Amino acid sequence: MQLKVPEHQVAGHIAKDGKPGPLVDDKGRFFKPLQGDSRGENEVKFYESFATNTEVPDHIRRFFPVYHGTQAVEGSDGAAMIVLENLLADYSKPSVMDVKMGSRTWYPDASEEYVQKCLKKDTDTTTASAGFRISGFEVYDHKESSFWKPERKLLRGLKVDGARLTLRKFVSSNSLSDMGSKPDSAFVSSVYGGSNGVLTQLLELKTWFENQTLYHFNSCSILMVYENESILKGNDDDARPQVKLVDFAHGNDDDARPQVKLVDFAHVLDGNGVIDHNFLGGLCSFINFLRDILQSPDESAES
Amino acid sequence: MLKVPEHQVAGHIASDGKLGPLVDDEGRFFKPLQGDSRGEHESNFYESFTSNKKVPDHIHRYFPVYHGTQLVEASDGSGKLPHLVLDDVVSGYSNPSVMDVKIGSRTWYPDVSEGYFKKCIKKDRETTTVSLGFRVSGFKIFDHQESSFWRAEKKLVLGYNADGARLALRKFVSSNSPADSNLTPPNCAFASEVYGGSNGILVQLLELKDWFETQTLYHFNSCSILMIYENESILMKGGDDDDVQAARAQVKLVDFAHVLDGNGVIDHNFLGGLCSFIKFIKDILLSVDKRHETETSPLENGN
Repeated sequence: MQLKVPEHQVAGHIAKDGKPGPLVDDKGRFFKPLQGDSRGENEVKFYESFATNTEVPDHIRRFFPVYHGTQAVEGSDGAAMIVLENLLADYSKPSVMDVKMGSRTWYPDASEEYVQKCLKKDTDTTTASAGFRISGFEVYDHKESSFWKPERKLLRGLKVDGARLTLRKFVSSNSLSDMGSKPDSAFVSSVYGGSNGVLTQLLELKTWFENQTLYHFNSCSILMVYENESILKGNDDDARPQVKLVDFAHGNDDDARPQVKLVDFAHVLDGNGVIDHNFLGGLCSFINFLRDILQSPDESAES
Repeated sequence: MLKVPEHQVAGHIASDGKLGPLVDDEGRFFKPLQGDSRGEHESNFYESFTSNKKVPDHIHRYFPVYHGTQLVEASDGSGKLPHLVLDDVVSGYSNPSVMDVKIGSRTWYPDVSEGYFKKCIKKDRETTTVSLGFRVSGFKIFDHQESSFWRAEKKLVLGYNADGARLALRKFVSSNSPADSNLTPPNCAFASEVYGGSNGILVQLLELKDWFETQTLYHFNSCSILMIYENESILMKGGDDDDVQAARAQVKLVDFAHVLDGNGVIDHNFLGGLCSFIKFIKDILLSVDKRHETETSPLENGN
């Protein structure tokens, strides 16, 4: 079994200083090292519970990575790894964004140290103000014909307007590294909009979160993924956003194949009869940001 | 002639020479403008809200009607002080049961002073604010057994956990004596009339929820929802078919000293807490329905 480092990891732990990071194989599987301090154990516990929980409606399962148990992997000192579906396996040139949901990443019963650490980060980022923060993203830059990933520092310093701009950039075709350029939101309808787009999927999740009291998804992220390959196929040498839009409109709406997935379950706890109001509030705020972008793709800010 | 309101359940109370609100006999409520610019802030909100064309007509019913400010003889004898003049939300009721629920998983907000932040977060963590997304601030109910009002002790209320909050919400719509509910569980006799029905609390909360999913005008930090209903009609119940409207359950938002501009972001803090509160009410209605089914079922189940 050939294991290699994933190409498109946007947030979370990476292989560094001899500590293992995630790996992928050529059979569509993603190997995630178990995190220390019982977080890894907690994540496994969640996946095991979720996989067999009959109270989770079928149509909600598509928003979660498929779980394949744990496995000791060669080269990781026999340490167990969580085996999951590789969410990017079916994509050629995926643009990916990781958005951490909720106006707080700490939770009752966490250690005081953890609470303070989280609080600081929540108030320094858009978590407290907007109910979510962008943890990372990688976008296919159509102008440069290569992937572009921003510096982590850049993301941490984002305020509300910066987050809004970034969400527009995620679905734009013009040069992304130029922070001054206005994003053209070329793919906004095919990624955020449409009957299978991100917004429709998020609304489905929202309905579930209004009632489910099974789990509290503390510190979880929503991953947004879409395919650029099909967009490229409609590309002429002198491709202008308008042409792309027209081509896209005549193509199959599924070409972008936008997908929403929940990831990172190290801090999931039992719901205990209460809805996950923290995640839900943040999710509704995120939904509103996307709705605003869909309704006014050319504006750079809402009044 | 101004006097101390009878049905105040939370906030400052004008008794024993303390500064608090007053009412007249024409249905008006006089709230002294609080110091530290909070009072000014609250009157600014009312002025803005009253004339804000972006607030849909059907939402105005959830807010007290504002009549400007007026110099009034203060309740603590300190002379004439500016007061907010509002419609007294309980003036149309004979024997109202009232409950004040502070909505949101946090009562602090970005950019407050360190001192205020610490004070708020301590209280939020000690009460159900963090865990449930709301906390019961106070309530009083008409005790049908004793034919008098029963008021929940403030210390007791602030010490509630999730079960305590649930119990309080059930007591609020029960006819058995609230004083000895340690022995007999609340019977939720009025749950369907007060929480349920086409004009009940739940329907009103759902209407508010819809508005909060898209409104970016205001962030209602530290605001409360007041629930009011009439006991007089219930007392006179004797085969009257007019029962459905008789309870006249009403939801009102109150306490706007910490409201801020929404700045293009929805009030995800309030919304998350509101959704959690809605779920609690829904669960009570469901349990009452189930009990009704069991009681009217032809099968004996040994109860």
